[in-house]
Amino acid sequence: MRRIGTVADLAIRENLRRRGVLLLLLALPLASYLVRRDAHPGQSIRLLFLGLAWAVSTAALFATGSSRPVEPRLLVSGFRGYHLYLGRLLAMWGLGVAIAGPFFALVAVDHGDVVRLGPIAAAMLLVVAVAAPLGLLIGVLVPRDLEGTLLLLILVAVQMMADPAGSLAKVLPLWSSREIATYAVDHVDGGYLTRGVVHGVVTTVALTALVLCVAAVRLRRRPHLRFV
Amino acid sequence: MIERLAVRGISKRYGRRQVLRGVDLSVHAGQVAAVVGENGAGKSTFLRICAGLQKPDSGEVIVRGRLGYCPQDAGTYDFLTADEHFMLVGAGREMSRRGARRAGRFAARELRWTAPERAQTRHLSGGTRQKLNLVLAGLGQPEVLLLDEPYTGFDQGAYHDFWRQVWRWRDAGCAIVVVTHLLTHLNAVDTVLDLTGQRVMPGAAA
Repeated sequence: MRRIGTVADLAIRENLRRRGVLLLLLALPLASYLVRRDAHPGQSIRLLFLGLAWAVSTAALFATGSSRPVEPRLLVSGFRGYHLYLGRLLAMWGLGVAIAGPFFALVAVDHGDVVRLGPIAAAMLLVVAVAAPLGLLIGVLVPRDLEGTLLLLILVAVQMMADPAGSLAKVLPLWSSREIATYAVDHVDGGYLTRGVVHGVVTTVALTALVLCVAAVRLRRRPHLRFV
Repeated sequence: MIERLAVRGISKRYGRRQVLRGVDLSVHAGQVAAVVGENGAGKSTFLRICAGLQKPDSGEVIVRGRLGYCPQDAGTYDFLTADEHFMLVGAGREMSRRGARRAGRFAARELRWTAPERAQTRHLSGGTRQKLNLVLAGLGQPEVLLLDEPYTGFDQGAYHDFWRQVWRWRDAGCAIVVVTHLLTHLNAVDTVLDLTGQRVMPGAAA
């Protein structure tokens, strides 16, 4: 646990020192929110969730890329793949919650009288929960940042454009936030909330398991090396 | 003396190009082996295979003790300080944060470098980053050290300090493999593995 904690601690410190990146990570959800603020609150809140997901997953993707040159040294020093990726995942969840906080306050101030704030908070937490392992998974699968960024762009764009009632949207990782947003803003029945939460939790668990599996395979100790 | 590193029959091919062909190497405690060869001879590949980071087509590597690895490029985080790197690598070695910091700073001073408390790695010069790279490899006193041309960017004085550090490790009983293309210190090693000719020769210090 100490190894995972150290990786998480130092990954957070590294991210907090990239002040320009932090500003942009905040600017992305903000721009997404403001662009449709004059329309129905549901539009701007749904776009805010997508912007938040995009920001957190991109941060996770680039954290994977910046760690790649350091990983060989850490593996030889006694770390295993799951120490590195679980630590990084904890850091990205922490960073994501820190980014989401001000936006929850913004929604509360802006639309607190017409939306259900509890479900908004739940949706934001699920967005962060899903986006962090999503970015790490793309980072561990796609070795170059540009390809990874484009892949993420495709995913978010498809999520944005897909018919939410269609089957394609439901298999995309961020569908849960849309369902919960509908419940929170349009005051529909609890089925939306239940479906959204279940989808978000299952997606988070599946993506986390996938990240750890892929990392374990990619960073495995080769069998020709034996310690006696 | 204990044989710390035994490399047996390592072969590696990239496509049609055979880079390593049945390479053997034995390094005992208190010995230094130099790996030399032309560009593309497979020196870094050989070291990565020894570190277990890359799979050979055939052969095995047996290590008695713990490994330390110094990659050719600095292998550090731009936005972390030297102390934070000591803490990170030290955690892998099961060292306390304070112990890792103290050991890292001590090793840095051996290279005539005072690791700054607040400066992030991105603000360090290329040579200083390499000193950090070297200190990190030796953190926790591993019994086998694999050093992949860790002196890139060193000035003449730092280069001599590097070899003095290698000899200190050797005198402490460490088995060291250094990839190098500079032949000036080959008289100070026990074994030379020439990957261009795929042969092992005794060094002048043997």
